[in-house]
Amino acid sequence: MIRVQQAPFDAGEEQRALLAGRTDIGAVVSFTGLVRDFNERPEVAALTLEHYPGMTEAALAEIVEEAQERWPLDGVSVIHRVGRLAPGDPIVLVVVASAHRRAAFEACDFIMDYLKTRAPFWKKEHASDGDYWVSERDSDHADARRWEP
Amino acid sequence: MSLTHLNARGEAHMVDVADKPESRREATASGRIHMRPETLALLAEGGLPKGDVLATARIAGIQAAKRTHELIPLCHALALSRVAVDFRLDEAEGCVEVTASCRLNGRTGVEMEALTAVSVACLTLYDMCKAVDKSMEIGAIHLDTKRGGRSGDYRREAVEPRPAPIVTGEGQAGEVSLGSRCDIASPCIRVKCLAELRERLGIGEVSVPLDSLERQDVAGLKAALKALDPRFSRLDEGRVLCAVNQVMAGDTTPVTNEDEVAFFPPVTGG
Repeated sequence: MIRVQQAPFDAGEEQRALLAGRTDIGAVVSFTGLVRDFNERPEVAALTLEHYPGMTEAALAEIVEEAQERWPLDGVSVIHRVGRLAPGDPIVLVVVASAHRRAAFEACDFIMDYLKTRAPFWKKEHASDGDYWVSERDSDHADARRWEP
Repeated sequence: MSLTHLNARGEAHMVDVADKPESRREATASGRIHMRPETLALLAEGGLPKGDVLATARIAGIQAAKRTHELIPLCHALALSRVAVDFRLDEAEGCVEVTASCRLNGRTGVEMEALTAVSVACLTLYDMCKAVDKSMEIGAIHLDTKRGGRSGDYRREAVEPRPAPIVTGEGQAGEVSLGSRCDIASPCIRVKCLAELRERLGIGEVSVPLDSLERQDVAGLKAALKALDPRFSRLDEGRVLCAVNQVMAGDTTPVTNEDEVAFFPPVTGG
């Protein structure tokens, strides 16, 4: 299940929905990304997330498909919010269910690394000294490269 | 144009100025030292452990201007008639701007003296503040104006280096319009610029007639866009990604009628 939405989400609710009626799942790993109040500048008051509707969903689906090819997964949910968000707000949720924990941990990690480097989202931060677009980070690319053969 | 500090054999030498006429020489230079907002606030209220920072840096700058010939190998010792060092605290930029101006009636220019004064004043600011902030950064030291002498007057052109990150206005609500048809009747390609690129170029969407492309691929489209509007030359600045019909593409990806081509900066979601 992949959703791009402005509304907030409830990580617990999404996890329960993924597991509902299933008894073959032995592990569920959930990652929630939150808006920080500091980033490239201190005192980030808010951020605006822009995306490329259509391509965003397709890119996320492709990442989830690749995770499913790499690990035996029983369910994946990815939710990414867009629009204006405040510090502390949940921004992204990845929930991965599998029979065993290693697959669930690794697939969740993989999906986040690929999402950060391949899904067309852009963050603009509103700080005390002005608004600016966030730059890409080398560390995110290094993280994504860990999954290359 | 030749380098006056090199002789006919290309060796460094001191220029003989004995026969040059005396004239009024002036030069102004400036530079900046960036620091954390807390450090700047302490500096402004005089709360730093080493005491009056600006007064000390001012004296250091003046002393340095007078001793420039001891530091820069081929500089003449000059009897400066005036050295002034000034500071401007810029809270918005998080820096102290240091300005120095030097003057004399003489046979050689005083730009090295002004530049040395700014440099040493910045170094002294660093020394006075380093107990509370070691991340301070000195930069943008340059000559602003120069008057008198054979080479004539000089005024630095206003250059606008755009430091990253780019500061822009309020962001959009997070959506771009989709599915709009070409707004011209003939076969065309719909081009979208997204996020920071849209604001950098000042262009959101544009339709490009297919017959304006010499080659029907992304590289051909870029060339046509640059011919259409010079702002598109910025497509070559930094890392710009491209998608054709919402699939990542490169310069050799073919494009055809009714294709949607998006250009955008590296992604930063998650």
